[in-house]
Amino acid sequence: MKRPSLLVIYAFAYLIFLYLPVMFLPLFSFNSGTIVAFPIKGWTLDWYRKLGEQDTLIQALWNSLGVGAVTALLATAMGLFAARAFVRYRFRGQAAAEGLVMLPLVIPGIIVASSMLVLFLFLGLQPSLVTVTLGHTFLALPFAVSILKSAFDDFDASLEEASYDLGCGVFETFRRVTLPVVAPGIVASILVTFTVSFDEFVLAFFLSGNQPTLPVYIWSQIRFPAKLPNVLALGSILLFASAMLLVLAKYFQRRSTTRDV
Amino acid sequence: MTEKNIIELKGVEKRYGSFLAASGIDLDLRQGEFFSLLGPSGCGKTTVLRMIAGFQEPTQGAILIDGQDMAGVPANNRPTNMVFQSYAIFPHLNVANNVAYGLRGRVPKAEIDARVTEALEMVELGGLHQRGANELSGGQRQRVALARALIMRPKVLLLDEPLSALDKKLREQMQFEMRNLQQSLGITFVMVTHDQYEAMTMSDRIGVMFDGRLEQVDTPATLYARPCNRAVASFIGEMNILPATVLEETGGMLSIEAAGFGRMRIERNVNATDRARDIIVGIRPEQLEIKADKPADYPATLKGKISNVAFYGENIHYHVAVENIDKPIAVSVPNYFHTVDFNRGDAVWLGLQVASVIDLGKERKSSQREKT
Amino acid sequence: MFKPRSEAARGYALSSPATAYVGFLVAAPLVILITYSFWTQTYVTLDKTPTLGNYRAALSDPLVHHLMLRSIWIAGAVTLATVVLAYPIAYFIAMKARRKTIWLLLITIPFWSSYLLRVFAWKLILGFNGVMNSALLGLGLIDEPLDFLLYNEFAVVLTLAHAWAPFAILPIYVSLQKIDPSLLEAATDLGNSPLQRFLRVTLPLTVPGIIAASLIIFVPTVGDYVTPALVGGSDGKMIANLIQVQFGAANNWPLGATLSLLAMMSVGFVAIVFVIAGRGLGGRIR
Repeated sequence: MKRPSLLVIYAFAYLIFLYLPVMFLPLFSFNSGTIVAFPIKGWTLDWYRKLGEQDTLIQALWNSLGVGAVTALLATAMGLFAARAFVRYRFRGQAAAEGLVMLPLVIPGIIVASSMLVLFLFLGLQPSLVTVTLGHTFLALPFAVSILKSAFDDFDASLEEASYDLGCGVFETFRRVTLPVVAPGIVASILVTFTVSFDEFVLAFFLSGNQPTLPVYIWSQIRFPAKLPNVLALGSILLFASAMLLVLAKYFQRRSTTRDV
Repeated sequence: MTEKNIIELKGVEKRYGSFLAASGIDLDLRQGEFFSLLGPSGCGKTTVLRMIAGFQEPTQGAILIDGQDMAGVPANNRPTNMVFQSYAIFPHLNVANNVAYGLRGRVPKAEIDARVTEALEMVELGGLHQRGANELSGGQRQRVALARALIMRPKVLLLDEPLSALDKKLREQMQFEMRNLQQSLGITFVMVTHDQYEAMTMSDRIGVMFDGRLEQVDTPATLYARPCNRAVASFIGEMNILPATVLEETGGMLSIEAAGFGRMRIERNVNATDRARDIIVGIRPEQLEIKADKPADYPATLKGKISNVAFYGENIHYHVAVENIDKPIAVSVPNYFHTVDFNRGDAVWLGLQVASVIDLGKERKSSQREKT
Repeated sequence: MFKPRSEAARGYALSSPATAYVGFLVAAPLVILITYSFWTQTYVTLDKTPTLGNYRAALSDPLVHHLMLRSIWIAGAVTLATVVLAYPIAYFIAMKARRKTIWLLLITIPFWSSYLLRVFAWKLILGFNGVMNSALLGLGLIDEPLDFLLYNEFAVVLTLAHAWAPFAILPIYVSLQKIDPSLLEAATDLGNSPLQRFLRVTLPLTVPGIIAASLIIFVPTVGDYVTPALVGGSDGKMIANLIQVQFGAANNWPLGATLSLLAMMSVGFVAIVFVIAGRGLGGRIR
């Protein structure tokens, strides 16, 4: 048996660093005290039981889910077309176009948020979930494009030609070849863009008006922590659910590539 | 094989900007023949194939399949099917669904099942219906691609470098299998390849392309014996090229003065249409005799010195340096007695029968591809 | 190879929704921000006489200077810390780990929890009555709680180095993964020790990954608002907090617009210098 190398020890130490803060959220969601701080008073499931009564919290959750879903669809749809254009066709100004689409990644959030607020008010759009969705689509687009671009990269152009050659038209080819082959990329894009939107705070803080998304609601509770244990309970559930989703997605991805039925 | 033309190309040209990928292509393909388009990479052979398939439209000229003008007919409505160089096996479908792809929704289910089984048996993949696309070997992928195209019962099967992804042994085996398949089905095959041996062993006729032009269309034997110019002669097999001067032309015969060998009368090559007083002639390496002493029974002889020896197994190649000739002359000798008779530096004599000197006409200088 | 014109047309048509959307949402606000930056506002009245007053005020204000420099300094420290901490992990996963998928999954799971709550968790760990102090007291290593853990620049750097971890690990992992193993064998074959091989082959080949990771971290960090507000205290405030005040409580949009534009220019400048320097450095390793 070999002594574990320094690198392995470092890898496990780093994992502890990554998980340490995250572990405290579920921990405090079982704490019976209302103040989220040490020492822990006692253990309770009350915060989970009372989740259903928190109307503003539930409303914020719905707001976030709605914004996330619409954002994911818009960004993935636009990203699908753009990624296909970037991978399959060559045209003048292509590099500039690809760079432009990536721009939202490298503009500081506060600047995007403040300038969009000014723009939407100028256009007569009052802050609401609509403006948040428009902003989130902007932020999520580079993620969608880069994920879908790598999906199209792996996609041999002669597959589509083979389908035309075997008698299928443009739409039938898209439905029977293009879509199934890039489907994992589309699913990944929807998941990631949804998460980007679901977790985004600064833009929503500026653009949501009186329709808070979940992060905006959490922000108000972090500073005035009356409802914070409820938030931690919800956060723990969401963390568990998304971890499960991720594991499941990986599992299916692996099954689909090695299936031998 | 009948004399009916299944494909006719009339003055076909494909131009990308100022670049001529193919120009002046006139070609008639006969029903039931195995035809190969042969040429180095970038010569335009794949462009011609893709124009027949309908993936590219000619910028000039017409393509007729079974008498019908294909202008404006998209790939999915043409009576051709293609085996792609990468095979293009759909990764999300199993073997049976790949093969059935083009029939789905057009033919009743029971008939699809029967035809898939039949097609798989034809390419010797019987029973592999459920195998996933990612679990196939190179040779199996090639067979699936073949079955998927043939199940459509095309009037013409197009093959784009179908064997280039396979290793040497498998490639040789598939050459015979595909040739047998083609002959038993009686379908016209059009294959693109850069491999002269592949083209020669499989085809009824071969079209040789250089720089976007179809240089010569002939049977393998004629191409080898009567190539139309230096490019074709050198691309198909090996050829010693010598300059020569025409002294006199009488009734299909040429009196020439060839470098080194001197005066001789050779047959005028009808395929070599570029004529001039200064011509080039070609001699195949296996047509030359190599001896230690001056051979008495050869009309043309030459003295030289061995500059290189290469042992090929079934034959031996000698390079012989000759005074007043720039390039060493290559000589190929069958390895009958398992001995290498000469070594580097040996003085030798070359002997030649006049009938094996091929008239190649005037030497063409540069390519005329870039036009505006 | 030249392509027919219709292909370019298809490229434009398919990519136009995305480019038009992003282009509009970048260009339009920029025009409006620039316009605003030349106006002035006192309480609720907006004076539209063009003036350079905002720029003069912003550039002469020591607080703006201080916050701008600190934002860039903190972002630089965060970038460095994140990349240095993440590189060995990326290297471990790409080169040594047997179950790469599991490790990549383990790395990403924590980041599916709310960003705000994760920052908040650091507050719990670093606070006066927090986990760190309780543990250290319990072990008898200190006699009274340390008060320098929270509400300062250190807390901001640590929290952000945690928050950005996957954004550093993944690009570096990808660039390590792309290295042809035979290159490493060639280096060994030519007489390199493992360390020399790492410095002369592996590291230079991962420079693009490092640059990508650094940009993705540095630029947004300069404008980060949440972390300084939660764990930064008064010592950890950054330029974004000041911009937010102008658009919020202070209600001075023209000054906020001016600060946004100045911040954007500084970030752009530093980023360009960084990319050029990074490429130069990558090219100089022999």
